[in-house]
Amino acid sequence: MPELIEELKVKLIEILNLSDVKPEDFDADAQLVGGDLGIDSIDVLEMVVMVEKDYGIVINNQEVGEKVFSSLSNLADYIRTNAPKTSC
Amino acid sequence: MLTAKPVYISGAGIISPLGCGLAETEKALRGNLSAITPLRIFPLLQGEPLPVGQIDGLQEQAPLPRTHLLAGIAARQAVKGCCTPPEAIIIGTTTGGILTTEQLLREARQDKLLYRYHGLNTVAGYLAQELHCPGPAIAVSTACSSGAVAIALGLKMLRCGQYESVLVGGVDSLCRLTYFGFHSLQLVDRSGCRPLDEDRQGMAVAEGAAMLLLTTSRPENARTEILGAGLSCDAYHPAAPHPEGRGAFMAMQAALADAGLSPENIDYLNLHGTGTRENDLAESKAVGRLFTHLPPLSSIKGASGHSLAAAGAVEAMVSMLAVRCGLLPANTGLQKIDPALGLEPIRDPLERDTRAVLSNSFGFGGNNGSIIIGAADSFSRSATRPAYPDLAVHGYSCLTGAGDMHASMEKIVAGETVAGRASLDTIAGNLPPRLIRRLKRLPQMTLALAAAAHAASGTDCPKPGSVFMGTGWGALSETYDFLTRLNESKEQFPSPTDFVGSVHNGPASQVAIMFGATGANITTSGGDYSFEQALLAAQLMVDEPAKPALILGADEGHDIFSPLLDSSVHPGAALADGGAAFCVTRQAKGARCRIAMPFYQSCAADDVLAALVASFGGPARTASRWALILAGIPASMSTLGQEQLASFIALAKSSAPVVDYRKTIGEFAAGSAVAAALGASMLETGIVPGSLIGGENLAISGQNNRILVLGLGEYVTAMELSHR
Repeated sequence: MPELIEELKVKLIEILNLSDVKPEDFDADAQLVGGDLGIDSIDVLEMVVMVEKDYGIVINNQEVGEKVFSSLSNLADYIRTNAPKTSC
Repeated sequence: MLTAKPVYISGAGIISPLGCGLAETEKALRGNLSAITPLRIFPLLQGEPLPVGQIDGLQEQAPLPRTHLLAGIAARQAVKGCCTPPEAIIIGTTTGGILTTEQLLREARQDKLLYRYHGLNTVAGYLAQELHCPGPAIAVSTACSSGAVAIALGLKMLRCGQYESVLVGGVDSLCRLTYFGFHSLQLVDRSGCRPLDEDRQGMAVAEGAAMLLLTTSRPENARTEILGAGLSCDAYHPAAPHPEGRGAFMAMQAALADAGLSPENIDYLNLHGTGTRENDLAESKAVGRLFTHLPPLSSIKGASGHSLAAAGAVEAMVSMLAVRCGLLPANTGLQKIDPALGLEPIRDPLERDTRAVLSNSFGFGGNNGSIIIGAADSFSRSATRPAYPDLAVHGYSCLTGAGDMHASMEKIVAGETVAGRASLDTIAGNLPPRLIRRLKRLPQMTLALAAAAHAASGTDCPKPGSVFMGTGWGALSETYDFLTRLNESKEQFPSPTDFVGSVHNGPASQVAIMFGATGANITTSGGDYSFEQALLAAQLMVDEPAKPALILGADEGHDIFSPLLDSSVHPGAALADGGAAFCVTRQAKGARCRIAMPFYQSCAADDVLAALVASFGGPARTASRWALILAGIPASMSTLGQEQLASFIALAKSSAPVVDYRKTIGEFAAGSAVAAALGASMLETGIVPGSLIGGENLAISGQNNRILVLGLGEYVTAMELSHR
């Protein structure tokens, strides 16, 4: 779980181009969308694509999306709970 | 103030999913059926096709892209029976030749001739050629309001008496960029399109073209007029509307004021009504705020889909039909009205005597346009100011391969080239990282230019209210990256960020957000004359005396796209890019100089160079007028351009030194903006550097105290910088 959170921090900084944020400064429990980082609806959609591409999980429901992207911890939880079972 | 000339609709043409021509369109609207069907016009690599509004049976005419074909069909209908060509053409478009380009890129085609119809300007240029239009052929690109903004510009051009006939309209074809782009934003309703419905899930991307021939002379059987237009910008978000419909309200209010009407005069309200949750809610709030008693209203997009840049013109046609035949179309597709909207749209087509219609179009970047169409000779004329082209420049900035104005002039004085591409750090180092985190090269350049021009206007300069931006190619990085990721992911993971950033008006709407500029926000794309088109738009639109406007021109050099698309950029040659910005008002007090564009004609116009000299009052005035002539000759037009230049110099009897400025700044479409800024700088310092003209430094004094920036090649344009 902590590894997943660290992995997501790096990914979000990259895909959202948060060049002035370091992974160690990224508060996993802080409000993600509409918070201090200025993350908005377009970023949410970019994250939806990332979650589908990298973790095989489709989020196409706005209500679910709002919960999932409310914080980085919630996103990690959602990915862990919904990840497709792999054979290895 | 003068009484504005009436602007009649003298001809109209349309092709859309509803049919070809006015009769078919009217029949379809009376039938109240949806023309939205699953995508057929290009194959998908995977997945079920989404519902779209598409046109069947279009005969391909390679190499013309689909957008051009649609534009041609509508334009020919509009001018049918008219024996003189329109004096100018203004076309709203966002897609240009992109559908063709997408296919060519997939086939990895390298022959740049194949890409020659990519640019938005080629749509207007193609019509100009077909219709023998001698004047400016302007492409307006403000996303989904492009068609409405084109009509608004045409209205201004005609009212002030400078032109007597202008062809205006909008066109877009379906393409992968918009099909997958809107899908990536989760804005497409998989079950069609149901504007205002409680269960609406979004829009249906569509295609179409509609053209109107507008004239100030009264046609026989004149039935409809354009009564007014209003433009605004949300200055809020690159893709989402202001939640309270602030910009939508301002556009409608401005259109009413422009027409001299009150809300009670509106007999039918044609909504933008895309079917997205956000648009319909924001628009309903604006409508509720404006109208005490709601007029009959509907969105036709449940029937036609959303034809993007064409939509404003298509719906101007629907508004015209409402006035002509009393047909008020239904809100097709509506099952259960969303009670949150507080609207009661037309359920079945109505027959009703209709004298004035308000039609809304809103686009990405919060670029809004509202148009009012009414019965001819039924309303009193609104007032207009006389046409005067001069704008007072209070601050300016430029960007070249060398960097900002200071760095550029330093190199020029030293006799060095400034052609090249400055690093993004040099360009946008002073902009906050959060502001630009989603922006690539062109919008970063644009924001830096805008901030610098405003800063140069002095600390007491108010924030600009309107923005006019010319770009030959738009955001090439975003467009290229979007299409590349789309292809690499086999059409599975298109980037919403790149799609939003790919629209031509993205950079200008970012400027509006930065300054809170809620006035007109117009992006033009006229190839090598893009900045000239932005200046022309500003000359027509800047009304408030003291509120500053920003006029910008910028283009980015892109490693893959620039050599492929720009006919003046040779494959393998070093790329150059840059731009400039001017903060202007109508008040000369405290200004640094004046800028005006007295001339803009096609190279095919009769005796174009003699007409250019005549526009300055003939050789008696031009022999000693300019301290310097900066000539813009695109490399691809070198032979023609040099000939034009020689003829002009001979006809004007001018002895001013001439600089072929692209040799110094490099080949890029918005180069004329840079030339104008360099000219302004030289005028202000009073010295033309000897290094530039191959001799001694030249003091700007006496009679010869103006600087002329000539555009040559396909079009002949003149911008003049003079002392205040």
